[in-house]
Amino acid sequence: MNPKYRRLFITVIIVLTLGLATKLILMALEDNIVYFYTPNDLLEKFGNTQNIKNKIRIGGLVLESSVKKERDKTVFMITDRKKEVKVVFDGSLPDLFREGQGIVAEGIFKNSNFFASEVLAKHDENYMPPEVADALKKNNVWKGESN
Amino acid sequence: MVPELGHILLIITFSIAAMQCVYWLYNLKHATSDVILFLQKGSLINFLFIFLSFVILTFSFITSDFSLLIVSNNSHTLKPLIYKISGVWGNHEGSLLLWVLILSAFTFFVSFNTAINSRLLASIIGVQTLILSLFLAFILFTSNPFERVDVLPLDGRGLNPLLQDPGLALHPPMLYIGYVGLSVSFSFAVAALITGEINKDWARQMRPWITVAWCALTIGIALGSWWAYYELGWGGWWFWDPVENASFMPWLISTALIHCVRILEKKLIFINWTILLSILAFSFSLLGTFIVRSGLLTSVHAFASDPSRGVFILIILGISIGVPLILYTIKSSSFNEDKSSFDIVSKESAILINNLFLTTATLTVLIGTLYPLFLDAINGNKVSIGPAYYNATFAPIMAPVVLLMAIAPFLSWKKNIDKNFTKKIMFLSIVTFLGGILLHLMEEKSVFALMCGSLSIWLFTGVITDLISKIREAKVKFQNINQFFFFISKINLGIHVAHIGVAIFLAGVTGEQFYKSEYNERKKVGDIISIGTKSLKFDKIENIDGPNYNSLMATFTLYENNKFVSKLRPEKRFYPNEKSQTTEAAILSSFWGDTYLVLGEGDNETGWSLRIYNNPLVSWIWGGACFMAVGGILSIIQNSSRFRNV
Repeated sequence: MNPKYRRLFITVIIVLTLGLATKLILMALEDNIVYFYTPNDLLEKFGNTQNIKNKIRIGGLVLESSVKKERDKTVFMITDRKKEVKVVFDGSLPDLFREGQGIVAEGIFKNSNFFASEVLAKHDENYMPPEVADALKKNNVWKGESN
Repeated sequence: MVPELGHILLIITFSIAAMQCVYWLYNLKHATSDVILFLQKGSLINFLFIFLSFVILTFSFITSDFSLLIVSNNSHTLKPLIYKISGVWGNHEGSLLLWVLILSAFTFFVSFNTAINSRLLASIIGVQTLILSLFLAFILFTSNPFERVDVLPLDGRGLNPLLQDPGLALHPPMLYIGYVGLSVSFSFAVAALITGEINKDWARQMRPWITVAWCALTIGIALGSWWAYYELGWGGWWFWDPVENASFMPWLISTALIHCVRILEKKLIFINWTILLSILAFSFSLLGTFIVRSGLLTSVHAFASDPSRGVFILIILGISIGVPLILYTIKSSSFNEDKSSFDIVSKESAILINNLFLTTATLTVLIGTLYPLFLDAINGNKVSIGPAYYNATFAPIMAPVVLLMAIAPFLSWKKNIDKNFTKKIMFLSIVTFLGGILLHLMEEKSVFALMCGSLSIWLFTGVITDLISKIREAKVKFQNINQFFFFISKINLGIHVAHIGVAIFLAGVTGEQFYKSEYNERKKVGDIISIGTKSLKFDKIENIDGPNYNSLMATFTLYENNKFVSKLRPEKRFYPNEKSQTTEAAILSSFWGDTYLVLGEGDNETGWSLRIYNNPLVSWIWGGACFMAVGGILSIIQNSSRFRNV
């Protein structure tokens, strides 16, 4: 293959690969993005439609004295001090899960309940997930220093 | 007074480095041996002074000198010695000092690489020193590690308990050696752009530096993943977390670079591409360092940041990535390439495709990492991108790379001369097909499991086939150690070992991703849990005091086929100083797989929640990474001038 054909050959495979990659990326971005909502945003946007197909994340504080253990399930309210959403979770909770703590839960919103497949709380008492901090700031209930 | 000495040493080093840069630029056109000597001596002094300064900081941590801000914020008198030392780089300022220490060490070592022609060498040292002075300025103006506190605290605030771990003590230094090591190939590339001098020797001199950086990066990433596996208690080893991606992208690019530079060593083609990759590799390192540290992305790695640092970081990134790219667009067309040709079926083509796919794979990771930031900036939507995205983009792009990896080593340069080429491919296909059927019969899983497992078998067979045929061709007898090295150099053992590492890694991934099983139980003391052929007996649960934590420790006995195997002791630790809790999983590792046990919350009345994972072949993941790194080291040895020309 002399340099002239080499250039053609290289261009063709680059175009093919990049085209394929773009296609894959666009498809994956459409299906696999997980949006984040605060309880207020969630209810405002999807409160009437009841069901969302895709996985979403919801963040806020664990409402005080709302945590109940029912066999393997944990049920609690998550709040942004404006609205609350009921969260049902059947996995094991992270170490720093406690009332008043900022957490993020990932799962599906169905019949006004949030069925979490994962609950994330960071391993530091002072830590607040930034999305939660933003949401609380928006509602003027943020008390801590900025992180 | 001692910490001030550390600070002063940094100021002196900054002045020397800045002076060196001016001197280098002034003498850009005539790099005499005097110029080189001056730059060499400067590099030596820089290295020594930064080293001393680093020793002073470490000493402050060991002696718990809480008059220093970062010591009081990140250390505690009760912390074990090793974590007092690793606390030095467990914070923003200290980690930057480690960064420049490694940079000055690399600069010093490369400055004595006199096999490089003097004009190139002067510019290489010059570029290295320029980066060094930028970072020293960053440290001195925004992140002084020797800053004092106003009021002396009684004790320090301690280090995040998650980071108090031996694996993690070593993870940042290894990663930094990898990141910073890539600065050398970057300097080679920029020096080539400045001087316009590039030849096969340039590639030959550059390759060992890339390989060193690549090995360190491999080990560093593997250590981080291993730590995540046993410390976070989620049973996973890779989460496609932005911070992991930040270290993975330079790895992918430098992998491409290692392969690509081999073509340039043979003949002068793809010069521009090699230079571009060298610049990109280090740019990704810088991006990695800062993406992690800036707090732009949240994780355990992020240290609090202030806006002045952000601006400074942008300036450094702008200079170190922007200027070389501008130089590149101006100069890249001026290099003369060889006019030789090669067949479609040849080593050149194979490496070309390898490079294309590796960079495309990097692109998918980059988009996955930055897209959430982009979306947030555009319309304030908060999104996260998880493993599903990467499984749909990264995995299908990497699969052809593995397919090619098995057969590319059969090929020769320029054109295929292996008469058995098709026979070998037939053999590989048959073995893989049979292996796939066996895998399917053993335990029926998804089609992806089958594909992943088959790729591992394919690659494994390919490497072994190639190794055997290379040994046959070599016909070297060896009685002493030198001849042994001639031998491994002739058969190119490094390549085989590194590629086998990928096959082992893939086998581990197949086991962990597709064949693992998870059990969630709530059990009381005395209960027995059965998991497959194994069973676990809950013996007791008790409170135990550690050096700087209190632990709730459960004891289990693991039986397999009713025979005693081992005791397992998962813990929940509470660190009073840091007011935080960690989960210590109990892991029994063996060659064929791990039993992974996590203690959750609960009490003696209602029982304790337990999570148990069976992770087949999981340790092969890190074993594979070790093989890759060993392969890299072997390739440095076998390509050293002593053994090459035989």
